[in-house]
Amino acid sequence: MSEEKIKAALVFLTAVFAIVFCLGPFIYMTVVSLSSEPDFLSGQGSFAASLDNYRIILTVESLHFLDFLRNSMVISLVTAFVTVFIAGLAAYAVTRIPLRGKSIILIVVVAISMFPQISLVSYLFRLMTSLGWLNTYQGLILPYIAWALPLSVWILASYFSQIPVDLDNAARVDGCTRWQALHKIILPVAAPGLFSTLILVFIFCFNEFLFALMLTSDHQARTIPVGIALFQGMHGEIPWGTIMAASIVTTMPIVIITIIFQRRIITGLTHGAIKG
Amino acid sequence: MRRSAGRDTRAAVLFLGPLFLFLGLFILLPVVGTIATSLYRDISFVDREFILFDNYLRLLGDDSFWRSVRFTLFFIVCSVPLELAIGLGLALFLNQPMPGRWFFRAAILIPWAIPAAISARAWQLIYNFHYGLANYLIVVSGLSESPVNWLGSSLGAFIALVAADAWKTAPFVAIIFLAGLQAIPDELHEQGRIDRASFFQRFRNITFPLLRPVLVVALLFRTIDGLRVFDLIYVLTGGGPAGSTNSLSLLGYRYFLAGDFGHGAAVSVALFVISLVLSIAYARMARFGGISY
Repeated sequence: MSEEKIKAALVFLTAVFAIVFCLGPFIYMTVVSLSSEPDFLSGQGSFAASLDNYRIILTVESLHFLDFLRNSMVISLVTAFVTVFIAGLAAYAVTRIPLRGKSIILIVVVAISMFPQISLVSYLFRLMTSLGWLNTYQGLILPYIAWALPLSVWILASYFSQIPVDLDNAARVDGCTRWQALHKIILPVAAPGLFSTLILVFIFCFNEFLFALMLTSDHQARTIPVGIALFQGMHGEIPWGTIMAASIVTTMPIVIITIIFQRRIITGLTHGAIKG
Repeated sequence: MRRSAGRDTRAAVLFLGPLFLFLGLFILLPVVGTIATSLYRDISFVDREFILFDNYLRLLGDDSFWRSVRFTLFFIVCSVPLELAIGLGLALFLNQPMPGRWFFRAAILIPWAIPAAISARAWQLIYNFHYGLANYLIVVSGLSESPVNWLGSSLGAFIALVAADAWKTAPFVAIIFLAGLQAIPDELHEQGRIDRASFFQRFRNITFPLLRPVLVVALLFRTIDGLRVFDLIYVLTGGGPAGSTNSLSLLGYRYFLAGDFGHGAAVSVALFVISLVLSIAYARMARFGGISY
């Protein structure tokens, strides 16, 4: 009996810890964004609720908040769709087509993801400069696709390998080509896996920082993490309230996606990390 | 048969072609380019000159490089075990049958899902000397009489970074551990209960040994990721105070920014070599521990 009580107490304490630990900073961000001054915790300041910070980021055009947000959305969405398409083709080939040295392909793909981003940026910077693609959508989307591919291939190969090969063998006997077998038979069965990968790639690209920092220079293509990181006040003082309001507006869609699709995200991450 | 094999090869080329095109153009080529650049004196507006290992030799004699190596290694030595411990605790908790489990699962994913650059801004405010949450809690709870100068001292900045990194990445570790926990058959725990093993005995003798392969995976992921830490530090401390939190990625970035591409490339290669050595060490460790994938 007492062991059960200890366990119940432990579970309760962890629940409190989990909520305070995970949500504390997020709640603090929200409170600061709703306060007219950020210094309400010091002895002098006091909390006065206000929506001014939100009004500023949504209406002051010189801040380019909405531009950054749109850039992020477009770049992440396009990257996610193209990446899942290319990774889906590759994962199909790796799991279905009899090839020599297939296992080597997956190992090469993983080895490629070992290179730190910093070892790519200077070359990408020069490449995009010579192509005239610095500070453009394609200048960021193309490297993002390459950067997101290894994990996507890994996740999808793990999903595809769980689908019985007999399914597409039967389709092939019926006269389907590989391509038909893929999009008529495999695609519908693998849809949850493709969707998980899509969400993960979207979140990864939405959160990416170093490429965006090096390869963009202004609101034409700069993404929101870089925008918020470089956000400066007009009078020297850091405008905490506006920064936190921008952070909340930016993270809200991500938080909602996370809450709705938590199962998909968790299975995607698990396939990527362990099952492979 | 031969015709079908030929068709298979053609299909494979078509299906794998785009993958290798992208990886080749935007990852392999840049890596080769960076390795080549590290052998040149390559500074903006100065003639390129082949100098073989001169960039590396100069790094070896450069204090700021060694400080950066020490900081980066010390950062993972402190943050990775902390993340694994918190992640394991959260995973054990999430694995309990209880009402509102979906809510906790979503709550735990949130720090992972928020862009690091954005949460780093929030941490910057939390560590604010005058009105940040950290100093408020410390003074109100009586842990310290005076506020702590978090981001202005090298020890304070280090602790601040480790805490913020643990917050951001413990959820990922928790998800990996959770998958490991769910793979453990219930019968084992049932048998443990029949044998009157206590909760802690069951954890030590059943759960923990079976989690070891997952632990190695989490360790590997977190170490490689921690070694290349960039955005959190760029936003939270900018490498300061006085360069005490310059990670290797940040050091490389500073060289690129200054137009010294040869040196920056050499730092990048050094970072890659360190990750590779640690990964191989883990893989060997895992094998000696009797774990097979």
